[in-house]
Amino acid sequence: MKREMVLNVNGEEHDVEITPDRLLLEALREDVGLTGTKEGCSIGVCGACSVIVDGRLVSACLTLAVTCEGKKIETIEGLARDGELHPLQRSFVQYGGFQCGICTPGQIMAAKALLDHNPTPSADQVKEWMSANLCRCTGYYKILESVMAVVEGKVDEERRDEAVRQARIQSLYQSDTYKSGASD
Amino acid sequence: MSKAEKFAVLGQNVDRFEGHDKVTGSAAYVADVFLPGMLTGRILRSPLPHARIRNIDTSRAEKLRGVKAVVTAEDTIKQGWGVFFPDQYPLSVGKARYVGEEVAAVAAIDRDTAEEALELIEVDWEELPAVFDAEEAMQDGAPLVHEEKDSNIALTIDVERGDIDAAFRDSDLVIEDTFESVPQWHSAIETIGSVADYSANGKYTVYMNTQTLFMARMRLATALGVREADVRVIQTAVGGGFGGKSCDDNNAMVAAILARKARRPVKIINTREEEFLAGSRPRVNMKVWVRMGFKSDGRIRAKHMRVIADNGAYSGKAPAITGVAALRHDTCYKYSDVRSEAYLVYTNKIPTGAFRGFGNPSAEFSVEQMMDIAADELNMDPFEMARLNAAEPGYVSPHGNRVISCELKQCIDRTERMIGWKEKRADRKPNRGLGMGCTVHVSGKRHFGDYDGSSATIKMNEDGKAFILSGEGETGQGHWTAMCQIAAEELGVPFSDVAISEADTDLTTFCLGNYASRLTYVAGNAVKNAATNVKEILHETAAEMLEADPGDLVSRDGYIFVKGAEQRAISVADVVRGRQFRRGGAPVVASGSFDADSVSQDALRYGNESGAYNFGAQAAEVEVDPDTGRVTVIQYAVASDCGTVIYPIGAEGQVEGSIAQGLGYALIEGIRMEEGRPINPNFSDYRLASMRDMPDLVHEFADSYEPTGPFGAKGLGELGMDPVAAIISNAIYDAVGVRIKTLPITAEKVLRALQEKKKNGS
Repeated sequence: MKREMVLNVNGEEHDVEITPDRLLLEALREDVGLTGTKEGCSIGVCGACSVIVDGRLVSACLTLAVTCEGKKIETIEGLARDGELHPLQRSFVQYGGFQCGICTPGQIMAAKALLDHNPTPSADQVKEWMSANLCRCTGYYKILESVMAVVEGKVDEERRDEAVRQARIQSLYQSDTYKSGASD
Repeated sequence: MSKAEKFAVLGQNVDRFEGHDKVTGSAAYVADVFLPGMLTGRILRSPLPHARIRNIDTSRAEKLRGVKAVVTAEDTIKQGWGVFFPDQYPLSVGKARYVGEEVAAVAAIDRDTAEEALELIEVDWEELPAVFDAEEAMQDGAPLVHEEKDSNIALTIDVERGDIDAAFRDSDLVIEDTFESVPQWHSAIETIGSVADYSANGKYTVYMNTQTLFMARMRLATALGVREADVRVIQTAVGGGFGGKSCDDNNAMVAAILARKARRPVKIINTREEEFLAGSRPRVNMKVWVRMGFKSDGRIRAKHMRVIADNGAYSGKAPAITGVAALRHDTCYKYSDVRSEAYLVYTNKIPTGAFRGFGNPSAEFSVEQMMDIAADELNMDPFEMARLNAAEPGYVSPHGNRVISCELKQCIDRTERMIGWKEKRADRKPNRGLGMGCTVHVSGKRHFGDYDGSSATIKMNEDGKAFILSGEGETGQGHWTAMCQIAAEELGVPFSDVAISEADTDLTTFCLGNYASRLTYVAGNAVKNAATNVKEILHETAAEMLEADPGDLVSRDGYIFVKGAEQRAISVADVVRGRQFRRGGAPVVASGSFDADSVSQDALRYGNESGAYNFGAQAAEVEVDPDTGRVTVIQYAVASDCGTVIYPIGAEGQVEGSIAQGLGYALIEGIRMEEGRPINPNFSDYRLASMRDMPDLVHEFADSYEPTGPFGAKGLGELGMDPVAAIISNAIYDAVGVRIKTLPITAEKVLRALQEKKKNGS
């Protein structure tokens, strides 16, 4: 029953051995080991499992993994590059576009799919598009604000200041008390 | 009072503590926990609302390849559990009392095998007469849900304060009406789940998406028949709680029982359908009759309320919820003479329980409409009437709730301005209407043991970074971030120099958890006290190092310096290391505790239930389509008095989220049942609002300071939810002259009422 195949997830090839009825959601979470994609309703209504396959937004809970062979699958784990958050991720942090966070990977992937096709949607277009992604915590206000902040270029650079952090680490090891403590 | 306090960290929109984990997909929820050798657990549920179990045959299931354990009540100690009444079992003992009740369970190598095994379990059922309506269940001769009790009434409340008959005689206007609410599901996007492990030395380790770790541990220990310390509960990331993950369900119990028998870790994640059948305990639906008396100038003179609350099959937290519905709202307005009767009644349905608002939404759906009806009858502006009756600082409710800070009148004023009440009333548009209402909630409630407190420990790392150990846990509301801000403020260190632990019953001191809008106020005070104690230790060592008097030291931005001689400064990191790395060295660590100045209500339900009360006013503008009955919320305005705002994005998020849930409650949500069976247990039939459904929302926080709160803060999480349904109903009445008294207010109900009104020519 099981067959070997290759899934291309976030630009990386993964060998998996799966049955034909394996859902993309299960394959991503259990076979590839990327658990950022979440299960919410299991019937393609809530959008928590939204991923992008060959540029199209799909519900991974309704998609058979075998149909994704040879296609480019994008998940939440592929957004940050070299430790730097994607502007949507930064924006969701800055504008509080999540609370519990369970729907957040799906919200961000849905927003990415929209902005990949139309980088300057109106607020109404965002509302219409994002209405396939349910959230029970936020009332959606801050999700909309987070997406529109990216559209309008209002996202700050990453607020963790690496220079300050390095300086603090430097001062830690140069500290007199540390030295005197060690030699006592 | 020190309203003028200037804060370094509080009130700032810092990046949420666990934000990066949540936007990158790396936050680990319970479904993301994978342990070596872990099995999948599945539960066999009762297909009948009320039935005796003559026999269960599990032999065929046990023989299926890949099945590692099958359990029934025979694998348990048959010990009932429950926070108020121990009426619930992990697996049915003798009979099942609702559709979905846990009867047996299987642990197998994968889900398909486990589900196949469930089909091999044979249960010999004897169906019993069932009762689904609370009022019917109260009648003599109704089928008894619990045979050992002589009636289905689980709880009765009947209290009178003042002289209610005289007060009604003294009233110029007396009105009465009946309102009915429906069970609302939490519908967190993540269902309830757990991963349980059992070690050879007899200890259970349970990963859970719970809001209330230590209470979960207590109930697990009770049902499993072990000591509390034999159970370790570790909170995973929680994908939405709203009361539904406060552990009145059996998911983790069954996982633990399976793990013990299989001697392997077992994961049980509720499917969405199971979540509706037997997962989170939905809001207690209530029928509320109210009679109110008013003086001609609009002052409330008397109130008599009778609540019939549907408990479903087991009690859970419903006894406390019923008490809140009966009594809490009397803290919102100035009352002298009130009587409250309430009956909590068992039926053969899923047990009802805690959901944001905790009884208050049903009460406010009733009373806030009565206020509107009275204003209409007395030809008064509802805002004027609310201002006239609003609670004030120093008010003591008839049931003993003592109000310290209260900015209700300020909230009323702000709401009136935000919604543009006067302007819109002066320029009325057809089929448009305005409604308003007020609300009150607690900041913690003393009802689980004589304790309404919290504790936390803070340890300082050698690099100067503080680490808070807390067992309260994060459910998504931003509690961790607020606690780090409070600790940073008190310690005088930057926000980035504070971190907080995951909640783990083995590693943290006892905490009650996430409910009753208690964390910012109660846990915030505990964290602040821990920080004060840590700062004292830091200052003691800093004083030695700086050769200064500890009393002259000040902490700010990660440094401790001598007041008035700021060049004499030392970093917190240097002080921590200075104390640690020396002969007789010691870590910098301290705990803090707080127990609110509340009391347990006495037998007559009298007593100050919370340390602080939060207040609010809200208003809505709606448009009703007279041809279809469809209600569109045009604008919604909210003013909230939560004292000092610690974490603005988090606080705004609480308001926005609670209004969204309130609008769902008002207009679209509710499970439909036939003979005790939910007929819409999924997200395509149980509709939730989506982004395009949300109205324009404006909100403000009152300028407020609660002297007993941490830096003046008090609770907020539930306040916004409570009055929404009444306000929408009031606005619909204002728009088209019909009043809908049952939830949800569907287009169909509005249309029918409009047709009725037309027919009667009124």
